[in-house]
Amino acid sequence: MIWEAVFRLGVWPPYLFPSPEEVAKALLSGFQDRSFLIGMGVSIQRILIGYFISLVFGVILGILIGRFKLLDETVGSLITGLQVLPSICWLPLAILWFGLNEQAIQFVIIMGAFFSIAIATDSGIRNIPPIYLRAAKTMGIKGMDLYTRVIFPAALPSIATGMKLGWSFAWRSLMAGELIFVSVGLGHLLQTGRELNDMAQVMAVMITIMMVGLIFDRFIFAQFEKRLRRQWGMSN
Amino acid sequence: MLLSVDSVTKEFIAQHGKVLVLDKISLQIKPGEFVCFVGPSGCGKTTLLNLIAGLEQPTQGTIQKNGEKIAAPGSDRVVIFQEAALFPWLNVIQNVEFGLVGRMEAQKRREIARALLNLVHLGRFEKAYVHQLSGGMKSRVAIARALALNPSVLLMDEPFAALDAQTRDILHEEIEEIWTKTKQTIIFVTHNVREAVRLGNRVFVFTARPGQIKKEFQIDLPRPRDTNSEAVVAYAKLIQQELREEIEKFLKEEVDHEWTLKKTDLLRPAGIDLGSGI
Repeated sequence: MIWEAVFRLGVWPPYLFPSPEEVAKALLSGFQDRSFLIGMGVSIQRILIGYFISLVFGVILGILIGRFKLLDETVGSLITGLQVLPSICWLPLAILWFGLNEQAIQFVIIMGAFFSIAIATDSGIRNIPPIYLRAAKTMGIKGMDLYTRVIFPAALPSIATGMKLGWSFAWRSLMAGELIFVSVGLGHLLQTGRELNDMAQVMAVMITIMMVGLIFDRFIFAQFEKRLRRQWGMSN
Repeated sequence: MLLSVDSVTKEFIAQHGKVLVLDKISLQIKPGEFVCFVGPSGCGKTTLLNLIAGLEQPTQGTIQKNGEKIAAPGSDRVVIFQEAALFPWLNVIQNVEFGLVGRMEAQKRREIARALLNLVHLGRFEKAYVHQLSGGMKSRVAIARALALNPSVLLMDEPFAALDAQTRDILHEEIEEIWTKTKQTIIFVTHNVREAVRLGNRVFVFTARPGQIKKEFQIDLPRPRDTNSEAVVAYAKLIQQELREEIEKFLKEEVDHEWTLKKTDLLRPAGIDLGSGI
């Protein structure tokens, strides 16, 4: 509504500020000629691969840091430092290492999600009440079982928070990466829109990016968190 | 002899040096006994329990179970802690099954867990989550979880201290019933003298730190017992007298060297101000 009103007021020319109708049309045609679908498919595939890798390694590294003092003292503070660095800053390095290809963009995604997942896992492990470990030990649990059956599930609520954060970092990094670097993908569609001076397409792509982010957040992470909360009794 | 504790000494390293917690303690426990440890706070009774559990190692001396030295925690010596320590990511029956996973097939496990939940009267709550249970129910689940492992000795570390008096009475009845039925060897740590007399066949009274055994009482009262029966109260008085001296020692160290216990039943005279008015 506000959008329509601002458009009618004509503060900005239509080529800079398209009407909702035009954006909707662009959205529709984007899905009809499949370019948006293909872009979404490529972007989602990329993020899934990168995110999965950072999840696995992030959790493993987080557990190691949380459990071994030596690693915490050495790698721990380094990770906190690296997490502050926006992951897109890794792109020049990635391009030099891997060339302008899929690996470079994967690397940027991994760097985006990896550290926040590792940090959240580490803090989750630190906050496990020691009594859980003692109780498990007196029930004869030791070695790997202690990790898989006690330490990991006990840290899971914190890991879930890290996963959600990691996802949004990964998504941002991916979009930034795709903008800079030419390839199919939603970020690239956005860039094409700019090059063609097609504001309606730019906005339509932005909406699509938002939607994808929202869908993952709502249907995957929020559900997972809700289940954990119910199980642990952290909210009603 | 099921358990034999042989001149065990335990020191902890604190900021200002070493603290001697247990000083050459020796005791022996036969299978099927219900033994209670009572003593003033900080006397090392819980430490001794942890040593028997294998969660900690003695500085000197040995603890043997069936002639073998205890080197690590194991499912033959399960501990029930004051906080129940149930796992919130598992529901009630999964908690009870926890120690059995990997030892037998799922169906057998479930049967054992169900039977134990019925024993502690929680059959209806097998699918409930831990946070939905009351304090007393949590204690029951913890008892069922420990019994599932069929330990040769069950170690209970002030398991009912955080419960209200009514719930505690009921749990006393139940643990007595379980002991009568199963003849499970139990070591029960408490600072509550009546609780010790109510439950134990033998009660060890600990001295203030460094912990030693001051006296051992054989409680030959018929079961089921009643916390408020004259016989229990009489025994409790006897033990209380032994403890009084130790508590006084402990308070002197903790509060003030000038301070002595008055000859009243009040542990802390009403006039004493520990700085609460500041």
